[in-house]
Amino acid sequence: MYNLRAHVLLCYGGACISSNAGSVKEAMEKAIAKAGLQNEVDVVTTGCMGTCELGPIMVIYPEGVFYQKVKSEDAEEIVQEHLLKGRVVKRLFYKKPKTEEMIEMFNDIDFFKLQKKIALRNCGIINPLEIEEYIAADGYMALGKVLTEMTPQQVIEEMKKSGLRGRGGAGFPTGLKWQFTAASPGKQKYVCCNADEGDPGAFMDRSILEGDPHSVMEAMMICGYAIGADQGYIYVRAEYPLAVERLSIAIEQAKKNELLGKNILGTDFNFDIEIRMGAGAFVCGEETALMRSIEGKRGEPRPKPPYPAQKGLFECPTVLNNVETFANIPYIILNGADDFASVGTEKSRGTKVFALAGDINNTGLIEVPIGMPLGTIIYDIGGGIPNNKKLKAVQIGGPSGGCIPTDHLNVKVDYESLQELGAIMGSGGLIVMDEDTCMVDLARYFMEFIQEESCGNCTPCRQGTRIMLNILERICQGKGKMEDLDILEELSEQIKQTSLCGLGQTAPNPIIATLRYFRDEYIEHIRDKKCRAGVCAELVYSPCSNECPASVNVPGYLAYTKEGNFKKALEIHLKNNPFPAVCGRVCPHQCEAKCRRNDLDSAVSIRSVKRFMADSIDDYLKCFPEKQNSNGIKVAVIGSGPSGLSNAYFLTMLGYEVTVFESEAKAGGMLTYAIPSYRLPKNIVEKEIQALSRYGVKIKTNSKIGKDITINELKKQGFKAFYIAIGTGDSIMPAIEGIDGNNRVISGLDFLYKINNNEKISVGQEVVVIGGGNTAIDAARTAKRMGAGVTIVYRRTREEMPAEIEEIKEAENEGIKIQLLQNIKSVKSNSNNKLAVEFLNMRLSEFDKSGRRRPVEIEASLFTREVDLLILAIGQKPSLGHLFDKEAIKLNRDGTIFCHSHKGETMSEDIFAGGDVVTGPSTVVEAIGQAQRAAEAIDKYLTDGRKEYPWNIMDEIEVKFDPEEEPVDYERAKNIIIPVGERDSFTEVEKTWDKVTACKEADRCLRCEFKKEEE
Amino acid sequence: MGCLCNEKELTDEQKYKQLKEFIDENKNKKGYLIPVLHTAQAIFGYLPPEVQNFVAKEMNTPVSVVTGVVTFYSYFKIFPAGRHTVTVCLGTACYVRGAKKILEELEKKMGIKIGETTEDRRFSMGVQRCLGACGLAPVIMIDKDVYGRMSAKKLDKILEQYK
Repeated sequence: MYNLRAHVLLCYGGACISSNAGSVKEAMEKAIAKAGLQNEVDVVTTGCMGTCELGPIMVIYPEGVFYQKVKSEDAEEIVQEHLLKGRVVKRLFYKKPKTEEMIEMFNDIDFFKLQKKIALRNCGIINPLEIEEYIAADGYMALGKVLTEMTPQQVIEEMKKSGLRGRGGAGFPTGLKWQFTAASPGKQKYVCCNADEGDPGAFMDRSILEGDPHSVMEAMMICGYAIGADQGYIYVRAEYPLAVERLSIAIEQAKKNELLGKNILGTDFNFDIEIRMGAGAFVCGEETALMRSIEGKRGEPRPKPPYPAQKGLFECPTVLNNVETFANIPYIILNGADDFASVGTEKSRGTKVFALAGDINNTGLIEVPIGMPLGTIIYDIGGGIPNNKKLKAVQIGGPSGGCIPTDHLNVKVDYESLQELGAIMGSGGLIVMDEDTCMVDLARYFMEFIQEESCGNCTPCRQGTRIMLNILERICQGKGKMEDLDILEELSEQIKQTSLCGLGQTAPNPIIATLRYFRDEYIEHIRDKKCRAGVCAELVYSPCSNECPASVNVPGYLAYTKEGNFKKALEIHLKNNPFPAVCGRVCPHQCEAKCRRNDLDSAVSIRSVKRFMADSIDDYLKCFPEKQNSNGIKVAVIGSGPSGLSNAYFLTMLGYEVTVFESEAKAGGMLTYAIPSYRLPKNIVEKEIQALSRYGVKIKTNSKIGKDITINELKKQGFKAFYIAIGTGDSIMPAIEGIDGNNRVISGLDFLYKINNNEKISVGQEVVVIGGGNTAIDAARTAKRMGAGVTIVYRRTREEMPAEIEEIKEAENEGIKIQLLQNIKSVKSNSNNKLAVEFLNMRLSEFDKSGRRRPVEIEASLFTREVDLLILAIGQKPSLGHLFDKEAIKLNRDGTIFCHSHKGETMSEDIFAGGDVVTGPSTVVEAIGQAQRAAEAIDKYLTDGRKEYPWNIMDEIEVKFDPEEEPVDYERAKNIIIPVGERDSFTEVEKTWDKVTACKEADRCLRCEFKKEEE
Repeated sequence: MGCLCNEKELTDEQKYKQLKEFIDENKNKKGYLIPVLHTAQAIFGYLPPEVQNFVAKEMNTPVSVVTGVVTFYSYFKIFPAGRHTVTVCLGTACYVRGAKKILEELEKKMGIKIGETTEDRRFSMGVQRCLGACGLAPVIMIDKDVYGRMSAKKLDKILEQYK
């Protein structure tokens, strides 16, 4: 016996083995021998540690240092540095997602810290191939206790007291199941373990069997003793060869140590265990099907009752529990039911193991107390969503489960709460989906799975799932009808009610859940032939154009720009969006996030190409689409922001006579009066507005509707329809004391308006801006340019800031401080003509409806700072004033206009609305997209409408393209940004590329729109 | 129980002998048909009618029962697997770039459909929803090698490398 001073625990779970843990083990042993440490350091291969994404994983004890993504080449350094010299190898530390903070100790990693391990207590700690290690970890002690100190009835009572419920999905109380079976008459009884884990994305049972097989066997024996059975079967899927191998070894070792067989531990208790392999039938996870399969038959379910407790395997009373359920039992017996019951919720005791998969930073296996909020699992343990994408939904319970959208992140993960939301706990598969997931396609995927796995025994399941799948496929291809949704709902209900077994009864769940939370997406597929996630092939022209709210033909103008045909490029752009130079500067370019070139290196810099293209042509007039025949019908547009002007433009294109009414002296709305000129020079805005005027859009400035002229008067003048696009010109002010009438307090919008209107305003030395959106950043950078020291105060954290990331970064580059997790409390005027502003520190608590954590005040954290100017930019709302009669249209609770369709139709048939006044503060390109749809609705209202609208036609791109050729291999070109030191005025911060750069960048496009037609 | 067939090619006679030994050993265990079929597939690589007949006879069970079980479970193969597996990606990006065309071309070239194996057991063919290489679309995968920007023209040259 040697005195070991260190243990190297190497994860030997399935995932780590496939990322080459085997060669790491060899290399470590070699390096240890080379250093002469073989008698001091032991390499232990363990079961799954949980962080499968980071494998191969290693933890070195006694310190508990955690190394990730270890390669065999690292072995030498680990041995030489860590084991010999006691210096940790930092480069192999775990890095926190987003912050990149390095964490040394196993126990300090959030992923592990928040877990509570009962079922997985030995996984990742002991070597599953050595029974001695299991015994050393109190293994078979529970069996000993049961056999020598407890009667079978006492065991059952203990199980009942613990509150343990079946972890296979349905959550039936384990103690009751045992009691029923024990009470059933019959000499021969059986214990079965369900290890037919078939849900896509679930691997809890596999990890337990691979990492701690003895605990399951021990529990089966305890069950056998309690119910009076002497034979157990473990039914494992054939796709788990490693689990079968480790189980076989464990059974052999137990037999050798006389822990299986006759007279176990010297008592008269006999028990034997046999492994039975499944053969690739998902339905065999259903209990009656599983038992038929063990009997050597086709795995077809039978009706219940009789329940397995009365007539199960070979017609004898049988207990069937899931792997995870069993893994809890030795713990309960040893530590007592009360200990176990102290974890979890009132109705759901203990812990649950989940397999985290999908779009999440830390994929892998976790065990948490039941009742933990879903958001905590995803953000704290799972580390959030990768690639700055947004969470869309979480699928829980596999194909029998349902999805939970982001507004329910506070849901406590327990049996009942999940059921209320239409999901189920299931076996524990937890698939996280980001915004790139199409929910209709998801339903189709699960239905395809279920359809293939339906055993065919009963008609509702066999035929019903086929019909539902056909409908879903049709919808995904853009051939769905609105009635399909009703048929889906009706079928779902019927199949649920009339199917023979659990598979069929739960088969419609993914459809029911997606229809409940994401009906909009179904409707978009059917009505608009649009798949917003860009997944459904038949509905997607290209990922970028699909993402663009104005559906601009991005590959089109990139291709022509590449060729140097800027005129043609601009023509394509103008057809859908008359503001290329504006959008080339201020568009948040969500198209680039979807660019398929991201998979190769990085997205095409679409916005910068657009900007060059627009700037290269001074006179747009020749590039606008030809106007259709004039119909002489007059339409009035109220508001000359991007949505109003675009709508006027689209209607002019269709042959209408459109007049835009603007209350201010200049047209442009936010483009003119809010966005500062260092971001958007005013001559650029003027250039594009003038082009629209010359195209035929009439603009009347200084005309405030409701004051200078009323809608009724306009009607008398012959205007037949109205498009309201007045934006959100009112600032929302916080309800705090000291701001009313205080001339050192101003709203973000008023501040920007005054600057853009060349009004005098003094900022003083210290400016504080409250808010985290684009208006806050614009105001802060403007104040900075006026010579003040500027601090932005935001009540949540950086991740929740709604402003564009690039804008936040530039603000910081310019020396603006950002104070997070602080909020304003009150404002007092100071004696020396300054403001004394009181602030509170905040912390994030539970999740709100927006899927973000709600900020709450930290008690007694009040502090004061002196401020010269306080700018409040916390929100905006429409300023409808006396625009129209109150009865004419309906408003939403936040003051925006209610539209009963996505085309801007209001409750008055001749009044339409779009842009921020409908959506609340949004982007220019979103406003333009709404203007398109409203133009269609107005056209349909005033005439019979037309078959096609120019902006919905994607013209063929006549630029040669060979899909087999390798794409150009250079990296994304950088934007030209003036260095901070040289920015002292309101001149534009970014510069337009030269021709060569723009053409080369445009050539990086992969031309995803290019389809190989089947000839 | 991995596939034992390639370790050292046994004669049919030896294979049947091996299978019979296993059956005799376990004949009296309850419900042992499925483990026997697992073993038979491990020995023969797949379960052709002759093997099913043999199992039925040795286990004193009707052939209809054996075939019923074999065809119920997707793990049991009635056709042998090919030495190489060609997987065509039918994810969105590949689909629009002509993955279907490539699939048709493969079906034509090999004379088989999805899930089948060529007579010379050189290739099996399957499809997948997304292989995660959308930037290279259309993509096919042969065993573990990924081929991007595929076209029907390129197929011959690539297939040639797999004997």
